Amino acid sequence: MTTQLHKNALQGPLGWGLLVVAMAVLLVSLGYALSQIITNGHTSFNTSSALPWGQPIATYVFFALGSSGLGLIASLPLVFGFKQYYPIAKRCVFLAFALLISGMIVLALELGHVFRMLWVIPLNLQVQSAMFWMGAFYALDLLFLLWKFSKLQGGHWDSKTAKQVGIASFIGVLLASGNLALIFGMMSMRPFWFDPLMPVYFYVTGITTAVAILVLLTYLAYGFSRERMPAALIALSTGSLPKLFAACLGMTLLFITARAITGLYSNNPEINVVWADYLFKSGVYIAALLIGLLLPFIVLLSKLRNKMSIQILAAFLVMIAMFVERLYFVVGGQVVPLFKGTWIPDLISYIPSATEWSLTFIGFALCFVIYLLGEKFLNLGDMPNKMLDHTTARKPIETTA
Amino acid sequence: MAKWGMVIDLDKCTGCQACTTACSMENNTLPGETWQDVLFYNAGEYPSGQMKWLPRPCMQCENPSCVHVCPTRATYKDPDAGGIVFVDWNKCIGCKYCMIACPYGVRFYADEKPLIEPDIRDVFPGENAQLWSPPYQSPDEDWRRGIGIQPKGVVSKCTFCYHKVKNAPEGIADLDEDNPDVKEYVPACVRTCAPKARYFGDLDNPESHVNQLIGDKHGVRLKDHTGNKPQVYYLGAGAGVPAFTPADRENDA
Amino acid sequence: MKLFETLINRRRFLQSSAAVGASAGAVATGMTGLKGFSTVSEARAQTPRGETTITKNVCAQCPARCGIDVYTTNGRVHAMYGDTGNPIANGKLCPKGHLGSYFLYDPDRFKGPMKRTNPNKGRDENPGFVPISWDEALDTVATRLNDLRRRGESHRFSMFYGRGWGASDAGMQGDFGKLYGTPNAAIGHSSMCADGSKKAKHATDGNKSYNSYDYRNTNYLLIIGASFLEAFRPYNNVMQMWGEMRSKSPKTRVTTVDVRMSPTMAASDRALYIKPGTDGAFALAIAHVILSEGLWNREFVGDFTNPNMRFIPGRRIAADSFNEKWVHGLADWWNEELIERTPEWAEEITGIKASDIRKTAIEFGSTRPAVALFERGATGHFNGTYNGMAIHSLNALVGSLFAEGGLGYQQGPSYGALPADANNYLDDYARNGAWKDQPRIDMKGTDRWPMVDNMMQEVAPNHLAGDPYKIDTAMFFYTNPIWSAPNPKVWEEALKDVFIIDTSPFPGETAMYADIVLPDSTYLERLQDIPSYPFEGWPMAALRVPAVEPIHDTKMYGDVIIELGKRIEGPTADYYHALGNIENVVRHLAAGFADDPGDNGVDSFESWKEKGVWYKKPYKWRQIRGEFYEWDGRRYSRQLSEEEVQEHLFKTTSGKFEVRSSYLEQHAAYIEREMGIPRERAGLVQWVEPRYSGGDGDLHFITPKTPLHAEGRGANIPQQMMVHQPIVGGRNTVYLEVHPQTAKDRGIRNGDRVRITSDIGSIEAECRFVAAHRPDTLVLPFEYGHWAQGRWAKNRGPGNSSEITTNQSDPISGLANYYTGKVTLERA
Repeated sequence: MTTQLHKNALQGPLGWGLLVVAMAVLLVSLGYALSQIITNGHTSFNTSSALPWGQPIATYVFFALGSSGLGLIASLPLVFGFKQYYPIAKRCVFLAFALLISGMIVLALELGHVFRMLWVIPLNLQVQSAMFWMGAFYALDLLFLLWKFSKLQGGHWDSKTAKQVGIASFIGVLLASGNLALIFGMMSMRPFWFDPLMPVYFYVTGITTAVAILVLLTYLAYGFSRERMPAALIALSTGSLPKLFAACLGMTLLFITARAITGLYSNNPEINVVWADYLFKSGVYIAALLIGLLLPFIVLLSKLRNKMSIQILAAFLVMIAMFVERLYFVVGGQVVPLFKGTWIPDLISYIPSATEWSLTFIGFALCFVIYLLGEKFLNLGDMPNKMLDHTTARKPIETTA
Repeated sequence: MAKWGMVIDLDKCTGCQACTTACSMENNTLPGETWQDVLFYNAGEYPSGQMKWLPRPCMQCENPSCVHVCPTRATYKDPDAGGIVFVDWNKCIGCKYCMIACPYGVRFYADEKPLIEPDIRDVFPGENAQLWSPPYQSPDEDWRRGIGIQPKGVVSKCTFCYHKVKNAPEGIADLDEDNPDVKEYVPACVRTCAPKARYFGDLDNPESHVNQLIGDKHGVRLKDHTGNKPQVYYLGAGAGVPAFTPADRENDA
Repeated sequence: MKLFETLINRRRFLQSSAAVGASAGAVATGMTGLKGFSTVSEARAQTPRGETTITKNVCAQCPARCGIDVYTTNGRVHAMYGDTGNPIANGKLCPKGHLGSYFLYDPDRFKGPMKRTNPNKGRDENPGFVPISWDEALDTVATRLNDLRRRGESHRFSMFYGRGWGASDAGMQGDFGKLYGTPNAAIGHSSMCADGSKKAKHATDGNKSYNSYDYRNTNYLLIIGASFLEAFRPYNNVMQMWGEMRSKSPKTRVTTVDVRMSPTMAASDRALYIKPGTDGAFALAIAHVILSEGLWNREFVGDFTNPNMRFIPGRRIAADSFNEKWVHGLADWWNEELIERTPEWAEEITGIKASDIRKTAIEFGSTRPAVALFERGATGHFNGTYNGMAIHSLNALVGSLFAEGGLGYQQGPSYGALPADANNYLDDYARNGAWKDQPRIDMKGTDRWPMVDNMMQEVAPNHLAGDPYKIDTAMFFYTNPIWSAPNPKVWEEALKDVFIIDTSPFPGETAMYADIVLPDSTYLERLQDIPSYPFEGWPMAALRVPAVEPIHDTKMYGDVIIELGKRIEGPTADYYHALGNIENVVRHLAAGFADDPGDNGVDSFESWKEKGVWYKKPYKWRQIRGEFYEWDGRRYSRQLSEEEVQEHLFKTTSGKFEVRSSYLEQHAAYIEREMGIPRERAGLVQWVEPRYSGGDGDLHFITPKTPLHAEGRGANIPQQMMVHQPIVGGRNTVYLEVHPQTAKDRGIRNGDRVRITSDIGSIEAECRFVAAHRPDTLVLPFEYGHWAQGRWAKNRGPGNSSEITTNQSDPISGLANYYTGKVTLERA
């Protein structure tokens, strides 16, 4: 089998330009974050002993679940034989890797002692901790992703090992994101999170995030022009992908609605007050729900869903909304002060600090840098030869790479 | 080995907070890093309003959720130390999961914005890897049990003053500060309590005074529904902690 | 920094303990020779670091005088606990006590003597202090004092004190004034403290003192305006007794009367909210019920000659129909005052329901022993002395004076004589100089304030007016009136042209006006005697033993006076040379113990130093069923004659407890003039309307003391500030506590910034709602509003409550009326 090089938009000057911008954002954010963390430590965060997990954790959750979602989408063709998804499989796998690395870097910058982690976790094997398993499975996930990607890079789309790696990776993803969900979902002392179905919620929302990112970045790769896209990809993007997108959005909304209704109905202030006085008092959260999730869902239900511009807009809105959702989810579990009496008489207020924002920017910039490099050098649009339909292929744009 | 337990009689507690300041002195905690705190709650309205309070150390749970979630076993329950829950500052990676998992809000990540400016850490800058180094630092130090002044990036908590308690004679039923032979081994908050609202002793010993008090006065554990089974018991009226209500609603007149 | 070097060195010698278990990390061993950031291993195991010594001391953060054990290791004080052998502390401490090391190592302390270089004084003026030597500092002051004396103006030198501890500091001011020649040598802050309760007792039972109490045996406690569980002294012991009272059999029942919700109110069996300044009306109604229900203690008070007679409301009794035993003037009191003081009458005035008053009275009158106690809440008003007398009279009615489970007064310790007697060192000027004709600057003892002990709050206005004269030089010890006096801005103005000597270890507001700073050592660095404040009555004297040598170039105040005295011309210098130094003074005091060893065996300076306290139980006298007895070493057996009772216990003209006060009657003309009470009624314990200050505001303004208020320093200790006002979560600041309806009526939301205004000024604060407070009463615990005092205190929190407190005082006691102000409230 041979690999055919598709000259996509990011392999040209646009790619370089974006790379320079992304690198600049990354370096500036990283420089700022490191200088703050080294000189001021976590005093440069707006988290506190009363609310220990803030936007960096939410950023990590956003990326980790986005990565898992991408991994699950990739398994549609690679494990379950949905061949129409082949055109995005390689990009999915690579993006899953990029997101996971970015999330891990953000998490590393958030921890008190990141390097110590490398020896204390393996040496102490605390198997009771969901966080231990999350770490273990995400580490495995990362390995499988690399392995799987190397298979695809080698053109092994359907080999037996590729299949086996794909299955292992699929299970790894489920376990990793499932354990991430359990980190929250098993906390009975934090009733806002306490939910046995939290893994399902995380899978669904992870896929939703993944589709949004995938749609956005796939179109970007082709310069927001279907002209440049391979026919199979066009078929996918006007076929099952937007339907999947709509379905995931619908399920996400269903989940949030169910959680909101039980939360608002409950007398327990540690759930009720969170919904009534925190989430639904926040314009940002409501906007994310209505404009970022509900509006795209409605639009995608209609025939408009096949339009590229609609898909791009929806993807963009959903990506932002899912980030907001992660932030409010993570913070929402902590805003009711635990056992503080008059010392903290109201909901704990939390607004991310500049350093915490810089961590978020690091995540996005790093992810984008890795993605751009991938597009540039790793032919992420590749697919099995038989999928390549030369008769409908658009005229390749000649560039000097 | 004993199972150390504390009994707090809310009918005697005056809410003075000597336990809080004694703890902050003994353990050199930062302002706001109140390993031991007194929580006040208001309810009702003039002329029949009520105010109640309860001192809140670490509950040293028998079934500590903080220990279960720690990915590195940095926080651990030590059966050889009376069942006290410690944080090993050499192992803690500062993920703060234990702070999420503790139902009692008794864990602290001191590397946070100062409660009070100017930051006392800038006044007494940390030396020797410590977060700060006040001139009045206690001489005791044991980072494997979270005793001393913590480095950056770790979680800290009440140790039942283990650096004192560990010196208690083997097999003693109660550490009563009024007994001159053992007063130096009594946790700071218990030792200083003027109305003698706090008692410290061996919960595994049915003869101990703490068990007698729990039996006679119907000791209860806070948030028992969490299943954490604290080794701290409360006596008297006032152990019922009101559910959270945002401040401006609770005082709707 | 010497401190840090020591710390580093100590760390360098970390030794591994053999007991540590398996740990992944290494253990720090000797790291000598490394400078700066040595890479000490992260695994730090239990390491003993040097010998710990324990010295005896006495806490200095309130007047209670708790003995403390101070723990010092390698020259560093790192802990303090109550001294188990000290009868006040019993091994316990209050929340302030533990923070003593923060005083010692306060980074804002004065490091040594200094002089001012900026002649201008004011809030925004940097004093421009430059360090000088002790010799230069003392010489400068002595030269100034000698010049004044030569000019015959020595009366223009004033010495002020706030918290005095005994013969070895503030106690030295009196003799200095006598020798040097000034009537202003020892102007105490008592008129800004609690003179009202002392005066109420002086006027009724003849003792110019606070009471001692036998809480352990009390079965009923009626607490009126005393913040018993927050600030009543000796606070630490009061809390110990609370624990005893509330768990003994029978449990002591407690009724608390106060103007606000407080821990005391919350913890009591019955909480009664009273309108500020009306406590006397409540107490009179209680007395009315006790008499009319026949609940008074007949053995102590006396009884009708005819056993069928009763006190019937509205009906007078014949004066000769009642046989008074130890209460003088009871028939008059009933006929002229109590007869109409029904609970229904009191309800109108106090706002307390008549049924609650009646219930309380019946409980109080029928539970023995019962104690009624009060403090500034009741006495910090224009009518404060009368309020206090009314409350104190309840103790007489139920016979708890000097009884088991009742109250008494404090005996003094068996001190030895000082090394020299100042009376032998007076020169002509000291005996008959022009200064003898001058009144005190505060006009104490003049027709203006004939009955007061001190009148410090009057000094600034008097100086400004040049009436009676202007002071030239003032020395302040343990007091900071530029911040704490009512209407302190007058002080800011007044002290601008006075040469100020401040002796505080800390940079307070008064120190910012200083021309010379002679910094005292903190209590952990001082050697001095501490005779007991009123406690349980029996004599007691504790000792401060320095835990460490002064860590800065400071000098204990008593030694400053001695060194200054040595520089005064004439025989004064000889006297102070004879004293030598404070240690010599203390040794002479301790010599008295040789003939009267304490219960704990203390009989010398050395044993005093070792044990930290000398005391002799029990209280010398006891009233049993209306008769007085003296302790004979084994029991109360020797009955006192009426003359002996008058000499030792009821030091009044009648030798009895006077509900018709002969002391007040001596000043009847003054009382009539100042208070509008007809002179023939002046002596009666009676209801007098309060006179609220502050203008026509519609809200009462109350500024209580919290348990965390560490005298003079609380506002600059982060570990105190973090838990200062738990009632509303005040940490890092203090909130104005306001009833939600009061706030909402003014458009104020929880947490809003508000402005509180009286006729002398405004301050701002953030508010928090307390629905359990009286809607007509604002509560702002005093602590903040400093414009100096250290890096943490300066410009923190709400404005200074004193700045909206009018300088109005009780004409009898002279107590400044801190709790009688009216204000308005609005959103800022």
